[in-house]
Amino acid sequence: MGIASLVLGIIAVLIGLVSAGSLGWLGAILGIIGIILGALGRKDPDKQGIATAGLVLSIIGLVLSLLLYIACVACLAGLSAM
Amino acid sequence: MQLFIELFGKQIPSYGLMIVIGVVLGNLIAFAVLHYSRLDLNDFFVIEAYTFLGAFIGAKLLYLIVSFNEIQWGRLFELQYFNELMLGGFVFYGGLIGGLIFALCAGKFHKIDSKLYMKRLIFLIPFIHAFGRIGCYMAGCCYGIPYDGFGAVVFPEGSLAPSGIPLFPVQLVEAILLFIIAAFLGYMSIRKNWDYSIESYLILYSIVRFILEFYRYDEVRGFVLGLTTSQWISIAILIVSILVIIKKRVEKKKLESEE
Repeated sequence: MGIASLVLGIIAVLIGLVSAGSLGWLGAILGIIGIILGALGRKDPDKQGIATAGLVLSIIGLVLSLLLYIACVACLAGLSAM
Repeated sequence: MQLFIELFGKQIPSYGLMIVIGVVLGNLIAFAVLHYSRLDLNDFFVIEAYTFLGAFIGAKLLYLIVSFNEIQWGRLFELQYFNELMLGGFVFYGGLIGGLIFALCAGKFHKIDSKLYMKRLIFLIPFIHAFGRIGCYMAGCCYGIPYDGFGAVVFPEGSLAPSGIPLFPVQLVEAILLFIIAAFLGYMSIRKNWDYSIESYLILYSIVRFILEFYRYDEVRGFVLGLTTSQWISIAILIVSILVIIKKRVEKKKLESEE
């Protein structure tokens, strides 16, 4: 679980840095799953290190992905928003 | 009213920045509350992550439902169109409902008392939402009706609001009201251990939202029988929340009379 979290976290960070917002939604979702796996993985005292790293990276990935993605996502031209 | 803020030499969308600031501050406050209430940080992260996921899915689903007629369903599997759909359009109420449902699911799947965490921390939702509304103001979306009085705002060219006309600052008004709701609920949950914080939030927000909808002017807002979709949802949430409180109090009285 810790390793999965780490992998997802790394991918989320990469998406956040590289996709300039267009794939942000994917980075956000992967980051969220990474956070869940990381937090659950931390409960196992043996794997706490990796799980914590995965958790932190996933959080960073989520933040980076959100930052550029929500360029007023609710109001982008085209379809209505409420 | 700036679509982009320059940070470290890069143009960062203000709306995204506002939400990130809200989420970061909200989490810092949450850590303090968790520490004070002796609750588990990891359990909190799990619930929060599920809530985000549920909010994303719910907000997107409700958006797809209300935009049903505008969406070109035949093009759904075209990568470009799919990505566009993912990028644009969320409805807050869908997010709220989705988030709450997923938070409860997190409790069931991982054997966490999610209701306890939710009661303590629900005030953070209006808190973060307020930052989102400031973001709306920066981007010019969700703008208000033409208005000439105290506090009227004029948006420049290039934002999502009609430029050059004085409009009602509905985004800022909602942000201020949300901060007040957050402060009140935060006080009640933490200092008074208030049992009805979730229902109170829903009641307060649905009333605020219902009234503010009359001051919104962004086009293509679904109108059904004279009220917007969000107003109907507000009414539904108000009624359900009041019923839940009544049910809880009746059950409490029953338990007390049995003792």
